[in-house]
Amino acid sequence: MKRFSCILLSLLLGLLVSADPDYKELLNLQPLNPASLLASFNFWSNASLQSYEQQHFKFIPRSLGQILQHAKTRELHLRFTTGRWDDESWGARPWGGTKEGGTGVELWAWVEADSDAGSFARWVTLNNALSGLFCASLNFIDSTRTTRPRMTFDPASSVTDASSESLFLLHGTLPREVVCTENLTPFLKLLPCKGKAGIASLLDGHKLFDASWQSMAIDVRLVCPEDRSECSIEMEQTVDMVLDVDRSKRPRDNPIPRPIPSENLQCDQSKPYAGNEACYPSDANLGQSWTLAEIFGRPIQGSCLAGDPHSQLRDSVCINIPHEREVNAYGDVVETKNAAGTSRCFAIPASKPFEIVLSHIGPQTFNDVSQPSLHASRSFTGHGQERGGVQTLLTNPSTTSSIEFVYFETLPWFMKPYLHTLSARLATSSITSPDIIQETFYRPALDRRRGTQLELLVSVPADSTVILTYDFDKAILRYTEYPPDANRGFDVAPAVIRLLPPFGNESSISQAPVYIRTSSLLLPLPTPDFSMPYNVIILTSTVMALAFGMIFNLLVRRFVGADEVEGWNLAALKAKARGRVTVLLDKLLGKGKEKKIQ
Amino acid sequence: MAQGIDTASEDANFKVASNPANAKNQPPPESPESIKTRGLVILSFWAVVVLLGLPVWLWTTSIYRASLPLQDMLDWADGKACKPTFPLQITIEAPLLQEPEAAHLVRMTQHALDDLNEFSAHHLRLRLAKSFLPRDPQNASMAVIQDGYAAGSHTQYGRTDVLDEEALTVRILPKTGAQAASAELRSHSTRLDVFYASNQTPSVSSSSSNLATFIATKLQELFAEEQAIIANILQSAQTKSQAPQMSSSASSATRELRSRSHRSVNPELVAKLDSRMARSLKYAPTYHITVSLFTPSAAPSSWEIESALAEYFTPLLDSISGVSNFTVDTQVQLYATFSPSVHSPEYDTEQQIWTLREEDLSGFINAAEWPLSPSIGAGPTLNFVLYVPNPSTSPLVVKGSQASGWLIPQWGGVVILNPQDANATSNEATLSKESIRPALLTFSHQLLSFLGAPQTPPSLPLQLQTLTRIRAASLLLSASSTMGSLANLTVALPSIAIPETVSSAVDTTMMHLRTTCDALKEGRFRDALKNARIAEVQAEKGFFEKSMVGQVYFPDEHKVAVYLPLLGPVGVPLVMSALKELRRLWASRKAGQQG
Repeated sequence: MKRFSCILLSLLLGLLVSADPDYKELLNLQPLNPASLLASFNFWSNASLQSYEQQHFKFIPRSLGQILQHAKTRELHLRFTTGRWDDESWGARPWGGTKEGGTGVELWAWVEADSDAGSFARWVTLNNALSGLFCASLNFIDSTRTTRPRMTFDPASSVTDASSESLFLLHGTLPREVVCTENLTPFLKLLPCKGKAGIASLLDGHKLFDASWQSMAIDVRLVCPEDRSECSIEMEQTVDMVLDVDRSKRPRDNPIPRPIPSENLQCDQSKPYAGNEACYPSDANLGQSWTLAEIFGRPIQGSCLAGDPHSQLRDSVCINIPHEREVNAYGDVVETKNAAGTSRCFAIPASKPFEIVLSHIGPQTFNDVSQPSLHASRSFTGHGQERGGVQTLLTNPSTTSSIEFVYFETLPWFMKPYLHTLSARLATSSITSPDIIQETFYRPALDRRRGTQLELLVSVPADSTVILTYDFDKAILRYTEYPPDANRGFDVAPAVIRLLPPFGNESSISQAPVYIRTSSLLLPLPTPDFSMPYNVIILTSTVMALAFGMIFNLLVRRFVGADEVEGWNLAALKAKARGRVTVLLDKLLGKGKEKKIQ
Repeated sequence: MAQGIDTASEDANFKVASNPANAKNQPPPESPESIKTRGLVILSFWAVVVLLGLPVWLWTTSIYRASLPLQDMLDWADGKACKPTFPLQITIEAPLLQEPEAAHLVRMTQHALDDLNEFSAHHLRLRLAKSFLPRDPQNASMAVIQDGYAAGSHTQYGRTDVLDEEALTVRILPKTGAQAASAELRSHSTRLDVFYASNQTPSVSSSSSNLATFIATKLQELFAEEQAIIANILQSAQTKSQAPQMSSSASSATRELRSRSHRSVNPELVAKLDSRMARSLKYAPTYHITVSLFTPSAAPSSWEIESALAEYFTPLLDSISGVSNFTVDTQVQLYATFSPSVHSPEYDTEQQIWTLREEDLSGFINAAEWPLSPSIGAGPTLNFVLYVPNPSTSPLVVKGSQASGWLIPQWGGVVILNPQDANATSNEATLSKESIRPALLTFSHQLLSFLGAPQTPPSLPLQLQTLTRIRAASLLLSASSTMGSLANLTVALPSIAIPETVSSAVDTTMMHLRTTCDALKEGRFRDALKNARIAEVQAEKGFFEKSMVGQVYFPDEHKVAVYLPLLGPVGVPLVMSALKELRRLWASRKAGQQG
């Protein structure tokens, strides 16, 4: 029996190795704290470079593939994000921050071209085409919103060295873009199962955009094996969202929250004011218990690509929760638990609804969330319509090792920083430390042509906070350059922070990079009154008319003494009017008489 | 009466003057110089306004309109500038006939052809092979003839005196033992072999010959469809250009053309041709072809499309690549459901088939959900959709005709592929090359009809030649009608800007239209197609000029708001002073006349 199972195991392993499926999908559910749940959807598809170049599309969608080929794009990263990742209560970011973007839309791509100008022309083509595909304002990524980062991004493709000389990296952001359902629908259309089967059937605009934080990502890259035998195109679509469990469990037809009856209220007794009268509602003692249908509105509608022999291997749902928690799955599913005792996975059965229940029975424990290796927050300082400042707090929570990272910021051209005011100091001291900023790459803005690009190589010592500040001027825009609702302010794209692996650690060089993004900023600019042009026309016209009238009258009028002026003579006017009336009456009466006589 | 008023006012003046309390000093009389100066001041102000202000205002607010040859453009649109003709050169080879005999035969055949042909714009011209060597059927001399043709076809460009693109070669050969003449068209060459019985040998003296009539009828048959198509194209273009201007009298050319085509083509054929022309795509140098596999479930998720295309589809594309280029891409789309407006298939219990209602076919393609967006790049996209129904609703056919494929005009074709094995409970995961072969053959057939190729004659080179002529004619007409539309637009919208690029595009178009027309007359059809293509591209470029589309528009309220604050306060004193001055001048002139 044992031997038989051994054979079975080896067979299965062999299948695993030999089976190289072109499409995989994975849902990872991770309770972050008692109130929130992180759901990471990942869809991975693959195609050989040959079939891709001959335009035989199967799991890589034709619409996107043709755009990339038309714009000669080797590698593409597109992000749609809303909300802010709360790293104090949620911990480190999923995927090490590599699959998320700043608020709004972020796009970077490696484009094949002969020159800078050629690469920009292709970049514009790419943006316009993607804008149509994803119903987003990507076509507004013009030269002022495009940068060419030097240190922040590395190609994820294993590009051969010979051709990389003609590759150009371009990066664009749209912090103002509101990500919504119209972006999700084309995103789902790119999937082979269109959200009708597999884990994608859980994705629903109502739930996704109701989440506390969500990020949709598309990555396309070229992968060549070591021996360069046959390259392949890899596409990964990712959706991450942090759901508020209580909020998601509200029924859709009755979404209004109701107060909890006071006898059911659990109070946080750690608060200083806790007592009989005051109660701070606590969720620390609450456990999470839910079903997929409660959270997402429906269960998973069977496996995508059900008829395929490898389907058992490609679709799975994992839940990161200690083994002592009770998780029930419905349907004939295969459950695999990992050795560390922190997660378990389920293979989705073919063409049958699949449901998981996280039970409220038993111990309500969670896995600890991993702490981020850097906290970053950015804000404006200063006041007034003319000048301002930016302050970034960068905290290294590690007590043992210092941390090194690239800080990348793109500023709009109407925000003009003074580089000489750029300073970095430790929060504990008041003087600038010269060894914090190790390298600076700065590309100044040109009015209406390009924005500022600032890349800093920063190192923060262990257990300390660095304050990075600089001052800037606010430019005054032209009348037509103001967007609708100009008084709301202008969004400034989030800063991108790329953590570098510590020095001397050889093994960590090949490690996946870690990214952190700050939140976007809202910059108030002096805004004119928009009826201004008409006011200006009327004012200048009045001044000109006055001047003209004076000169004209001086030239044309005859000046006489005050007593020589003929005034209005009332009696004369009366006599004149009377005379007219008499004449008129005479005429009428005379005519009548004449008629009578006749 | 006037005197009455005058006396009244004099009375009033007298009263005023007589009142001592209101007594006033009269201002001293103005010197004539100062009156003159005032007149000059007013005049100079007006001179500045009229000579400087008005021109500057007009110049700064005017819209640039390049001059266009409007009349020429309208002439092209109305078909007055060019009456396209299609003279086809047919070479007759009669290696076994004596020269006078052969010449006589050619003459008689030409007569017979002219009698048969009713559409004068498209006519066949016969010519005897040049290096005619009578009664010498040796192989060597044949080779000479062949070489002569080859050389001729290489050096044909640039000569205008003869029609040098020959459409067809007719070879007349005797056949022993045959009772009547017979003809055979080779399917891969432009040669018609005519075999005649030895007793049919025409004599120089006879005025009619069976053989000549036979050849004429045969040739007429071969080109009947092409004639009909061209007649139809010309006619529809004429009616189109006349539809918006019903009142204007139809030009004589049109009337002639109409009567001609009405006489030669029966209405059924016209309807058939109309529907075929409506189906076919506009000519483009590049077409994109998208072959898609759609299925409502997860299977089949792959197909052997690459090898199937290479075997069943690419050869056809290669053979028609002379007319246009083609790019082919394929995709697989799973979970493709019908749109909600389409009725779900009904089960026919008698025949054990699932049927789609015919009126639902137009909505079969779920445009909202199926990703069938046009390909990127210039040129239209043709979609060929292979639909594999669910095993539970299979076999699926169209109700009534039981067809499993249909064609969507100007868009593409659909084929429903029902699994061969009716008992299969689920679809195979992979469609084999053999199972998609019938679908690809249907697509090839649909592709030809989209390109507007005629059904006859069976020879592919002849069909392609016909296609060249049809395309040249339709491009010529479409570019001409674009010119007409542009001219009408220019006239109808006086506030539209016409940049220099439009004017140059129009000039290029006209030049190439003229060249096309001449080339058609001279029978250089490939040349004509080349020029017609350029003309069409330039015409479209001119018509869809970006800066022309975005018209400057200022509403009247805006103009009032901008002009009134300045013109009001400045204009009123100017006008009033001018009126006063004029009145004074008039009065002084009157006084001068009286005095």
